[in-house]
Amino acid sequence: MANNAHQAHRKPKRRKRIYHRRKVCRFCADTTMVINYKDPKALKYFLTERGKIIPRRISGSCAKHQRELTHAIKRARTIALLPYVGSVDIN
Amino acid sequence: MRRYETIIIIDPDLSAEKREPVLERVKDVIAQQDGYLALIDDWGTRKLAYEIKKKERGHYIRFDFCGTVAVVDEIERFFRIDDRVLKYMTVLLEKSADIEKIKEEIAAAESKAALTEVPPEPAETKTPEDQTPPAETEAPEDQAQPAETETPEEPAQPAEPETPEEQAQPAEPETPEEQAQLSEKQPPETEANEADTTPTETEEEIK
Repeated sequence: MANNAHQAHRKPKRRKRIYHRRKVCRFCADTTMVINYKDPKALKYFLTERGKIIPRRISGSCAKHQRELTHAIKRARTIALLPYVGSVDIN
Repeated sequence: MRRYETIIIIDPDLSAEKREPVLERVKDVIAQQDGYLALIDDWGTRKLAYEIKKKERGHYIRFDFCGTVAVVDEIERFFRIDDRVLKYMTVLLEKSADIEKIKEEIAAAESKAALTEVPPEPAETKTPEDQTPPAETEAPEDQAQPAETETPEEPAQPAEPETPEEQAQPAEPETPEEQAQLSEKQPPETEANEADTTPTETEEEIK
């Protein structure tokens, strides 16, 4: 039993490496995409259904663009283009 | 002189004539303080992401102007006092703006617009978002782009192209895919959500 537990501890680590998928920053991949706080439709894809900003580790954005994105989203929230909380339904 | 952009949300229940004084006042203030008003961009009435003063909708207007801090102070003071204005936000676009350049840009945009858009004139004021006129597509960031003259929503361009397929990506896609991969390679523990399922759980399942 104890032995098994040890193995189980080790296994996931190895697996993690195997399944790791390289994520690419969308803004680096497509330089024509511009982050703009006046465009809630585009920003919406970086929000969860509840309106939270999706973390970099999930979305795969690079640090630079995540920063810009965060800034843009916060501005958009200020002027009621995006919600602080709640669903994002932009018509 | 600095270049600013102010977006205000006006009470949607006001008629166009009643909105006019607000715009007049802004123009006056900018003129008084030796500013230069580059353009007034009317986005029309749109739904707010959250209620402001119990209103679901709001009339958005964007001012693009040059001036000093005095201008901003003065118009923000006015917006704060005036209850026709639900909300306002001023953003600094450029730290040192050249009025001549901006004038040129606007002139260029106008001539361009005159060429490109002939029929869709009326639609623009009402539907700020769903149309992406070709001329404006390349408007980068908020700064400069004279093209903005008639694009209520110039950034619409990044949104449209990748709407259908890619949109889902940032939010969910990762997890399902990873799950799929997981299930392929480690059949016994199919319900492992992520690679980091707690060791104890996995072990029990194997047994």
